[in-house]
Amino acid sequence: MSRYAMVIDLQRCVGCGSCSISCRNENNVPEGIYWSNKITETVGTFPDVRYHYIPTLCNHCEYAPCVRGCPTKAMHKLDNGITMHDPKKCIGCKYCEFNCPYGVIYFNWQEPHQFWRNQKALFQGGSSSPRDEVKKVGAEKTPYFNPERGATLAANRPKGVVEKCTFCDHRVQKNLLPRCVEACPANARVFGDIEDPKSDVSKLLGKFRPFRLREQIGTNPHVFYIRGYNPAQYRPTKGGV
Amino acid sequence: MSAKKGLYGTWMAVLGFAVLIGLYTTYKLFADGHVLFNTNDVILWSLPLGVYIYLALASSGLTILAALPLVFGIRKYEPFAKRLVFLAIATLCGAFVSIGLELGNIFNMIYIMLSPNFSSPIWWMGAIYSVELVVLVVKFALMHKGDWHSGFSKFLATASFILALVAPLMIGSVFGITESRVTYFGPVMSIYCLLMAFMSGTALFLFYSMVVNKLTENGVPVEMYDEFALIFTYATAVVVGFTLLKFAIESATVIPEFLVYHQFEHAFGSIRGLHTEVLLGLFLPFVLLLIPSVRASAGGKIIASLLILIGTLFMHMEILLAGQSHPVGPKAEQYPEFIKYFPSIWEFLVFSFALTIMLILYTLGERYLKLTEVPE
Repeated sequence: MSRYAMVIDLQRCVGCGSCSISCRNENNVPEGIYWSNKITETVGTFPDVRYHYIPTLCNHCEYAPCVRGCPTKAMHKLDNGITMHDPKKCIGCKYCEFNCPYGVIYFNWQEPHQFWRNQKALFQGGSSSPRDEVKKVGAEKTPYFNPERGATLAANRPKGVVEKCTFCDHRVQKNLLPRCVEACPANARVFGDIEDPKSDVSKLLGKFRPFRLREQIGTNPHVFYIRGYNPAQYRPTKGGV
Repeated sequence: MSAKKGLYGTWMAVLGFAVLIGLYTTYKLFADGHVLFNTNDVILWSLPLGVYIYLALASSGLTILAALPLVFGIRKYEPFAKRLVFLAIATLCGAFVSIGLELGNIFNMIYIMLSPNFSSPIWWMGAIYSVELVVLVVKFALMHKGDWHSGFSKFLATASFILALVAPLMIGSVFGITESRVTYFGPVMSIYCLLMAFMSGTALFLFYSMVVNKLTENGVPVEMYDEFALIFTYATAVVVGFTLLKFAIESATVIPEFLVYHQFEHAFGSIRGLHTEVLLGLFLPFVLLLIPSVRASAGGKIIASLLILIGTLFMHMEILLAGQSHPVGPKAEQYPEFIKYFPSIWEFLVFSFALTIMLILYTLGERYLKLTEVPE
């Protein structure tokens, strides 16, 4: 059985945000919720300053605290290692979100896609309302609605339940790459079966020394980071006292 | 007599009005969702959850207290046994109202039974409190029929006592096994919850009994409450000791999460570096209880127990909020480093609804269920 993992090459990543935008479109992610996100950090003081950018998503941990804590098994593991959520079983206790060490689970505090529910046109008689636009294209909730998401998970999750990245399990099922991987213009995301030594992810993990987020807490995340972009130069020095 | 009747009528009218507001709150939460709360994806659990913890723990404390006559056979406490069991039931009902309105999708609760996850402390907490409620109701029904000492009745008393011991440990473990929030981590939270349960249950019983004693003539000798005041003092002493130990451990560590936590832990202010709610809601009543004349007086008992009851709620809220007030991982991109929280009107209304249900049950129980009855 495959065990899926993702390698993110920080040297290739240019921080364009294409992963996040494509993820939103693919998974009908509502505003305020981020299945694909980032951690940014600025260190030092000018002119000796540097900006760090780490793309984030669900780590699909082997020992996932969200899965262990979910009282109804709404959050569960698939055989291929993907951490999946079933909104039909979710009681909305938010314990998975509370318990996730990576801050990648979000709660639907209200009916999603509020903007597109608005029936008021910006210019009365001149433009259509957001809701009219959705109707015109025959979509559900948003004009850019992707019905394919509905193959394995509610295409639009209702209010009162959590949601998070699923490694695009509906695409993986059809032997397609997760949307964020496909959309990355810099090939910074590499996806594959970590159990297969010949897979690209296994080769990269063998070639570079990867790190994972908060490894010390023992969740065994399956999103790995390799390398780092750093064009800075410095004159050889031994420092001084 | 007619003045008392008038007072009762007014009291029930107030509670009835509060129920209507509670039902409207329920409708609004179902219709609009939890966006009505002042919560977000950082502060996830707020006042309704704090109230649930508070009431559920107090209910466990009342059940543990009821075990003195019902399990350990201390017969002089039998006049209080029925009331203790009833208060535990009513308080737990209040807790369930609060958690029910906190959950995003209560209709899926059926999956707690259909798809149980035995590794989840939330599952265990829910299961134990549900079973405890059933056991307490059956036990109360038997006591009401006069069956106090049959084998089955004793079994139920023992079962409810064990459940009441385990349930606070499970509430503590909900926090204690949270990897993402080191400041909750460890067995300390479970022990803390158990001690808080006994203290707040005793405080609730003492406060309630003193108030009822003032309003009615229920035939229980007032001196009997002195012994409960002493038990209450011991319970408070243990919590004071444990709180000081907890402070000492937390202030000695240099684990980064604890250092961050120290910056945000005073949600309700501090006096000379010590939490306001701990000083006024725990240390002050403890000092009052140490004075024999205060402990012996009805006023002293009411003030000390009321301070503890208020302080306990604030202490639970403080712990709940301090562990959540800064965003985890990438959520720091969307939210500020520290998030302040003040409940919305809807959260206060959930609190009010939970209290109302509890108070209605207290009132009706006191009036119709002969709560000071003893076995023949």
